[in-house]
Amino acid sequence: MSLAKLVRVLAVTAGMVLAANAAQANTDPAPAAPAEKKASTSTADHSKFKELQENFATGPDVTKACLKCHTEAAKQIMHTKHWTWEYLNPQTNQLLGKKHIINNFCTSISSNQEFCTACHIGYGWKDDKFDFSNQDNVDCLVCHDTTGTYRKLPGYAGHPPYKDTEAPAGSGFIVKAVDLKAVAQGVGKTSRKTCGSCHFLGGGGDAVKHGDLDTTLTNPSKYLDVHMAKDGLNFTCATCHETDGHNVPGSRYTPVADDTTPHIRGKKNADPETCQSCHTAAPHKHNARLNTHAVVIACQTCHIPEFARGQPTKMSWDWSTAGKLDKDGKPIRIKDSSGHHDSYDSRKGNFRYESNVIPEYIWFNGKVEYTLRETKLDPTKVVKINTLEGSPTDGKSKIWPIKRFTGKQPYDVGNNQLVVFHTYGKDDSALWTNFNWDKALEYGMKEIGAQYSGKYAFVETEYSWPTTHMVAPKGDALTCAQCHQPSIGVGRLDKVPGIYMPGRRANALLNTAGWAIAALCLLGVLVHGAGRIYASRKGAHK
Amino acid sequence: MLKAVVGFVVGILVVAAGGFMAMPHLMFNETASPFGFEETIARIQHNIADNPVLQEKGWALSGLRNPAKAVQNDGGNVLPVQMIEVCSTKYSGPILKEDTVRFLSILMPCKISIYKKQDGKVYIGTMNAGLMGKFFGPLVGETMGHVAEDQKLFLHFDPNTPAPQIILPAAPAAGGGAGGGGGGC
Amino acid sequence: MSNRIYLFKVFERIWHWSQATLIILLLITGFEVHGSYQILGFETAVNTHTTLAWTLVGLWLFAIFWHFTTGEWKQYIPTLQKVDAMAKYYLFGIFTDAPHPFKATTLKKHNPLQRLAYLFILVFVGPLIWFTGWFYIFYDNWIEWGWDKYLNLEWVATFHTLAAFMMLIFLIVHVYLTTTGHTPLAHIKAMITGWEEED
Repeated sequence: MSLAKLVRVLAVTAGMVLAANAAQANTDPAPAAPAEKKASTSTADHSKFKELQENFATGPDVTKACLKCHTEAAKQIMHTKHWTWEYLNPQTNQLLGKKHIINNFCTSISSNQEFCTACHIGYGWKDDKFDFSNQDNVDCLVCHDTTGTYRKLPGYAGHPPYKDTEAPAGSGFIVKAVDLKAVAQGVGKTSRKTCGSCHFLGGGGDAVKHGDLDTTLTNPSKYLDVHMAKDGLNFTCATCHETDGHNVPGSRYTPVADDTTPHIRGKKNADPETCQSCHTAAPHKHNARLNTHAVVIACQTCHIPEFARGQPTKMSWDWSTAGKLDKDGKPIRIKDSSGHHDSYDSRKGNFRYESNVIPEYIWFNGKVEYTLRETKLDPTKVVKINTLEGSPTDGKSKIWPIKRFTGKQPYDVGNNQLVVFHTYGKDDSALWTNFNWDKALEYGMKEIGAQYSGKYAFVETEYSWPTTHMVAPKGDALTCAQCHQPSIGVGRLDKVPGIYMPGRRANALLNTAGWAIAALCLLGVLVHGAGRIYASRKGAHK
Repeated sequence: MLKAVVGFVVGILVVAAGGFMAMPHLMFNETASPFGFEETIARIQHNIADNPVLQEKGWALSGLRNPAKAVQNDGGNVLPVQMIEVCSTKYSGPILKEDTVRFLSILMPCKISIYKKQDGKVYIGTMNAGLMGKFFGPLVGETMGHVAEDQKLFLHFDPNTPAPQIILPAAPAAGGGAGGGGGGC
Repeated sequence: MSNRIYLFKVFERIWHWSQATLIILLLITGFEVHGSYQILGFETAVNTHTTLAWTLVGLWLFAIFWHFTTGEWKQYIPTLQKVDAMAKYYLFGIFTDAPHPFKATTLKKHNPLQRLAYLFILVFVGPLIWFTGWFYIFYDNWIEWGWDKYLNLEWVATFHTLAAFMMLIFLIVHVYLTTTGHTPLAHIKAMITGWEEED
C-alpha cells in the first residue's frame, strides 16, 4: 500500500468514526423527545380541574362533568348535523342526513343504529327512541380527546368500551377499556386524529368512502397533502373547517362549488373552508392565464390530480353477491391482490379498490339532489344516489373532480324504491347473522314503517363525491398538456361539455376542409411544376 | 454516377434515422394489462413463482421495487409504478462467469415494470431480451433468447383463475425505493 | 439577359424575410396549439406563438410606417387590368414559353394577380388573424373589459384557424409562384439582392 493510499484510508476511516459519533450525538437526546411536543398554550389545564378527578363509569358521566363549566356546549352541539344526522336542504327541500338517506355503501342506518352510531357524537342511539334532547348524551370526548386512546366500537350505540372487549367478535383482537378519567383530563382541541376517527373510516372502513380522506392523513407526508403535511404547514381539519360555536362549516349536502365572495380569513359571513378564502379567486400571481382558468375550473381539478394517493379507496360495492357461504356454512372473506383489502366478504358482497385514481370531471354548481327512499326509480337505468347539478352556462358552475362510486344494492321491485335492510343486530333477521335477504329487508322496512312489496332485486347505483382534500404540492398540479395535449391521447377534460379547449376541440369541418384545400394546393403546384418541367424538356428537344 | 452515390448515401441516412427513432420501441415492449395495478403485479408474480416449467429453469422472484416511493419521500407524486425483479442463475451464471460480457450484469435481475398511465390504465413494460442479446455474441444471444421465451410465460394470463395476492419481498422496502433484492442474482 | 432593375429596397427585403420566418414559425407553433401535432409541447408552443405574434406586430408597425412614408402602399392598389392575361399565362403560356404578360418596374413591382392576392391578405386574412389573435391574447381580460358578453373563445379560435389555413395556402402557392420567373430562382434572388434581372 502506498503512503498516499494509506493516508486516504485513514482519513476515510476517521471520517466514518466522526460521522458515527455525530449520528450518536443526534440520537442521544431521543429520550427527551416527548418534550418536543409543543407545550399547550391553553390557559386551562384540565388535569387540575376538580370536576375531572372522578373515576368516571360511563361516557355520559364525563359529559355531565364537562357541562358544569361548558354550560352552552351541548346546546350548541344539538344544533349541528354532527348531532342530528339530519339536514333539510333549503335548495331542494329534501330531508337529508345520515338519519334519512340511503347510500350505496352500508346503505342505511335505520334498523342498524346500534352499529352505525359508533360514529355519532353521542351515547346510546340504538334505535329510533334515542333522546336527542338529553345533554348528557352528547359525547365530548370523541372530538376533544388528545390522548389517542378514546375509541368507540360499532355495536355499542356510540359508547366506548367500558371493559376489555373483543372486536370484532371472534377475531381475537382485544380493545382495551377506555380510561375515561385520563381522557377527560387530557381534553383539548380537535385534531386530524379525532376528526379522522370517523371521517377517515366512512363507509365501513379505512379509505372506503371518500378517496380523499383516510388514515394516511393522520400524519401525512407532503406529497399527500401540502397543507396538512406533518413536517410542513401541519394544518388540522379545523384550520380550514374553522368552527364557530361547534358548528363546523363545510357540507357534502350543500357544497360551495364556486366561492364568489371569497375573503381573506376573518369575515364571518363567508365559507372559511373554501380554497378561495385563503388563496383568493386569483391565486396565480405570475400567470394570469391560470387565473382565467380558475374562473371555470375548481382549484381541486388541477391541484388534486389523483385521489386515493395514500392508499386504495373502494370504487365499487356489489351487495348482490353477499351471502355466499363455504361448505361448512361459514361466511368467507377473500383478499384482493394487494392483500390489504377484501375483494369478497359474505356479509357485504364484492368490492373493488383502487389507488391513485384519476377523477372524473363534471360541471357542478353546488346543488345536490338525492334519490331518497321515497323517490321512484327506474331499475333499467343506473340509479344516481345523488345528482350533482351543473352546466357550462348557468354561471354558477365550475368543473370539479369527482369520485364516482358504483354499486349494486337491493330495491323494492313492487314499488320501484330503494329499501332499508337490517344489516346488524343480535336477532336472527340481520343479514350479517343469517344471510337471508328476505328477512333482513322485511325487518328493515318494518322498522321504518315503510311499505314493502316483499319482492326485491338488485339495481345498479352510483354516488358522486366531489374531491377536495389531499391537495398535492403545486409541482404536481395538472400540466397544460394533460388537458390540451395529452401524450396518451386521453385528456383530463375530454368529456366535459361546453368548453372550447385549444388543442382538443378544433372545428372538425374547418380542419378537414383546411387540410384538404392546403393539400390540393400543394398537389396543384406540384403538378403545375411538373408540367413546366415536362414542357421545358420537350421545348429543349425541339 | 454522382447521383447514384448521393442517392445511396441519402438512402442509408434515412434508414439509419428511421432505425434510430424506432430503437426505443424495439428495445422495450409495452402492453396494456387487462387487470388492475395490484392484480397485474400479483398475476405476473404467480405466473413466475407457480409455474413448474419456469422453476425448472431456475426462475425465482428476487424483489419488488417501488420507484414511486422515492418520489413521494421527496414530497412529490407520480402514478403508481412497481418493478418485479426476477432472476434465473442458470442464465445469469454463465454470463457472469464470462469476463467479456460481465458488464451485462447491469441488466440483472430481469425486470418487469408495471405502471399506471394518465389514461388510468395499467401497462406492463418489459425489455426485448431476444433483440438485446443479439448484440453481444453467441453466448449472450442464446441465453437472452431463452429469457425472451420464458418472459412470454411471465405474461401469459389466465383470466379464469381468481386474482392471487402480491408476493411481498422478504425484507420490506426500507423507503427510497431500495426495497427487495432479496436473493436470486 | 439585359436589364437589371433595383426592385426591392433593403428594408423591404429584411421585412419580407423576417416576416416569412415569423409566419412559418407561427404556423408551426399555431397548428401545434391547434392540436395537429406535438413538437414543442403545448405550453412552450403557446408561449412561443405569443412571443412570435408580438414580434410580428412590431415588425408590422415598422412596415406600415415605411409603406406610408415611402408611398409604397400604392403597390397594393388593385387592378383588374391584365388579370385575365395573367391567369391565361399561368394556365397555358407558362408551358409554351410564352412571354410573361407583366413587366415589373419600380412603380409596379407586383403583377396584377399578386396585387390581388396581397391585397386579399392585407385586407382580409391579416385583419382576421390579427383581431382574432388579439382577442385570444387578451382572453384573460375579457371579463374585466366586458368582452365576454360579445365574444366566444370557440369562434375566436375557429376564425383564427381559418385565417391560418388561408395563410398556409397562400404560403404554398406563393412559394411555388416565386419559381415562375425567367429562371426558377430569379424571383428569389431578387428578393435577396433586391435586383431583378429581366430577359
